[in-house]
Amino acid sequence: MAPPNQLGKRVKLTQVRRPFIVGSTALPFSETNPRPAGVPDNHTHSWQVFVKGVEDTDITYWLRRVQFKLHESIPNYVRMVDGEPGKPFVVNETGWGEFDIAIKLYYVNDSGEKPQTLYHYLRLHPYGRTEEEKQAMIMENGEIRSWSYEEQLFNEPFDVFYRILTSGAVPRGWKGAAPPASGGKGKGGGKGKNKAPPPLPAPDSGDVWERTAMIPNSNRPGQPFSRETEAAEVKKLRDAQTTTEEWSQRILQELKGKEDLLAKLKAENAAAAAAPKPS
Amino acid sequence: MSSSDVRDVLNLSEGASGTRPNKKQRLAAPRPNLKGLAREVHNLGGDNPIAIVPEVTQFKKRRFANRKPASRWEMRSFRNSARDDSTLILKHWRRIEEKQENQGSPADELKQENGTQEGQAPTQDEMEDSSFAKFNAQVSVPQYSDDQYAQTLTSDTWTKDETDYLLDLAKAFDLRWPLIWDRYEWTPPATNGEANENGDESKAIVPLPDTQARTMEDLKARYYEVAAKMMAVQKPVQYMTQPEFALHELMAHFNPEQEKMRKNFALNAFTRSREEAREEESLLLEIKRILARSERFNEERRELYSRLDYPHAETDISSFKSSAGLQTLLGTLMNASSKKRKTLPGPEGASPSNPAPPQAPVQDTGRRESTGPSTGNREPPATGTPTTASKKGQSQTQQPPAERPKLTEKEEAIYGVTHHDRLGSGPTFRTEKINKLFSHKSNQQQLRINNTLNELDVPSKLAMPTSATTSQYEQLLGAVNSLLEARKVSDKLDGEIKIELAKKAEREKANAPPDGENSKAQEDSSKENAEKGAVTTAPEAETTSKPNSPDPDDVEEGDAAKNTEAAGAQKEEEDEIGVEGKAARPGSSGAAQKRSASVLSTASDKSSKRQKK
Repeated sequence: MAPPNQLGKRVKLTQVRRPFIVGSTALPFSETNPRPAGVPDNHTHSWQVFVKGVEDTDITYWLRRVQFKLHESIPNYVRMVDGEPGKPFVVNETGWGEFDIAIKLYYVNDSGEKPQTLYHYLRLHPYGRTEEEKQAMIMENGEIRSWSYEEQLFNEPFDVFYRILTSGAVPRGWKGAAPPASGGKGKGGGKGKNKAPPPLPAPDSGDVWERTAMIPNSNRPGQPFSRETEAAEVKKLRDAQTTTEEWSQRILQELKGKEDLLAKLKAENAAAAAAPKPS
Repeated sequence: MSSSDVRDVLNLSEGASGTRPNKKQRLAAPRPNLKGLAREVHNLGGDNPIAIVPEVTQFKKRRFANRKPASRWEMRSFRNSARDDSTLILKHWRRIEEKQENQGSPADELKQENGTQEGQAPTQDEMEDSSFAKFNAQVSVPQYSDDQYAQTLTSDTWTKDETDYLLDLAKAFDLRWPLIWDRYEWTPPATNGEANENGDESKAIVPLPDTQARTMEDLKARYYEVAAKMMAVQKPVQYMTQPEFALHELMAHFNPEQEKMRKNFALNAFTRSREEAREEESLLLEIKRILARSERFNEERRELYSRLDYPHAETDISSFKSSAGLQTLLGTLMNASSKKRKTLPGPEGASPSNPAPPQAPVQDTGRRESTGPSTGNREPPATGTPTTASKKGQSQTQQPPAERPKLTEKEEAIYGVTHHDRLGSGPTFRTEKINKLFSHKSNQQQLRINNTLNELDVPSKLAMPTSATTSQYEQLLGAVNSLLEARKVSDKLDGEIKIELAKKAEREKANAPPDGENSKAQEDSSKENAEKGAVTTAPEAETTSKPNSPDPDDVEEGDAAKNTEAAGAQKEEEDEIGVEGKAARPGSSGAAQKRSASVLSTASDKSSKRQKK
């Protein structure tokens, strides 16, 4: 790791989050998705696994490269993908089986952080607890998507990295300030020849800007993660919690009756044991 | 001119061979590929055929390649389904199909046949539709039921009737808005009705200016609003395909004001004169110049800022907080400022400095050499200092500037910056916290938690792990844990109760005389039944009185009663145990082992059932 004096000190008690999406999309071979030449006959699907920003925003300013560790049976199964600004980290493959993919994230050099690993289970077939869920899983073109929202938390980032993370917000597609190549030497923003970016929007505006932690307000096709989803989930969890509490309450009430009963039985048995026995 | 002529001119003797070329020529002449060449040109070649052969194309094919008779046409009637008036029947010429032609070989017969067929045609071809009918495409106008209207489409400025009217017009005029607007004459039926009742027409006229006030943009806005909402009703937004969604967004965000402005602008642009246009152009140039100037100015200012921007030391200033510390500070400050004034008068003059806050220059002292021009003049800790500039400076000097830009609340929200009381440093993922909650538990506990979550229909993985959802999830897990805890205690109690019951049954059995079990048991049960009411009402009395009675019979009686009482008490919550208790009682005559085994097995059954649940 880079010496801390170059990166400044850690910003104490501060956490910076960056949402991103990790997931896989699989498509069975068919008329519309012909098997490419040279693919073994037993392969049934083409799939891709990716790490990308919410609403396809750039994440290469904090993520330098991603290592995808695929199944050992796949030739060259450790795939290193270096970040290109504005592009997601993607591995395309074909295959027939599902497996766990270890995804190791390497942060930009300015972060001074060690790589972290997360896991993603590759899905080729519809999954879910019920048949309907499975059916709903299949997209119109037969795709199976297994996407998860994830938040990268930088706890107490180094000063330099903190500055990178907390500056340079621009609307998507903003021409003025091209994101610095791979989060380079912190030359974020321009040198005056660029237009000054517009003032920041309200945090709950639902816009998603580059180099921010913003998430959209509502869902769109191919973009299932938003405040809407979050609110629905919170509500669901809260409902579950209240039912759980109700159950506990009921059991506790039953418990009282049982305790009484047990005490009585115990006393009785003790008394009986104390009493002279005929046999 | 033949070769013989040439020979003649050149006075060459005509030998016996003279005739040969003629023959040859005759042979060559019919060759089709020489057709296009004039004979004279051809003859120039003499004996040798000319090498340049023009390509002869066949310009015309034979007119009647096949000897078939000319195709026949007939006048046939048809109808156009695109028209509303179905009675209108027009005629057009149509070729008669081959089949009919083949049938009649002589022309006369054919004609006759045609005649008959012409008669039949209208009946047969009644179905024939105009080939242009398909071009009568209908606009699909959003449909809605009364309920749907009441739910989503109600508006302050539009009644349902008027909306209906608008949609009818839109359909009638194929969404040609100028037409729709032109023909838009809405008279609210309610006021009309009133007018009729009163026989007073003035009331009917009153709303007219109101309806005329509807501009094309108003109409469009209403139409798009209705269309977008109905689209969303029919298909939730997240299930729409990309084009559908694009259309939906377009319609949902129709802005009549902007549209109006656009039209006004276009109108103005059309009506301006040549002078005005020229003036506008010059103004645009002017603006460009001004912008360029301001940009340059900004750049200069930024540079100045970056010059004034100095790195803060992160050294502790607490030593300067005491009065003694301040004294020494003052001394160093004086030295520093006097030195600096000598060496660097420029920037000092540029920024007439207000007296610096005492701690700032001292922080500065450590770095003074490297950052030369800093005057100890503190920038206001504001967002005004562009972070880019400070970053630039930092990257150039490779020194972390101490002044960390203070973020406003809004910026913090946007950049996802939060502050916590306790934090371990380093990058983590949001889901890790939840995973930890799980991994700290034993396998069995994890299984139990998962079972409970399934029961609650909550997936063990969050769809969107944000801070809000994770904290909620933690609370849920807490509740689940306490529920499991409660269940555990209750299961334990159940087990103990069962053991006690089994003990009692054991004792009962031991107490029961080996002979006459059945009668005894019956006696017992009858006694119990008789006693039941009394016992259940006063169980305490029973228990207290019991130890006093040494008589085994009495004890047994009491036990049995107790048993039933227990069964009664448990009945509400645990039917099974009650049943078990009852079953165990008559079974007291049976083998002790068997009974206890059955009790245990039901107990385990029960607990396993609990878990499954």
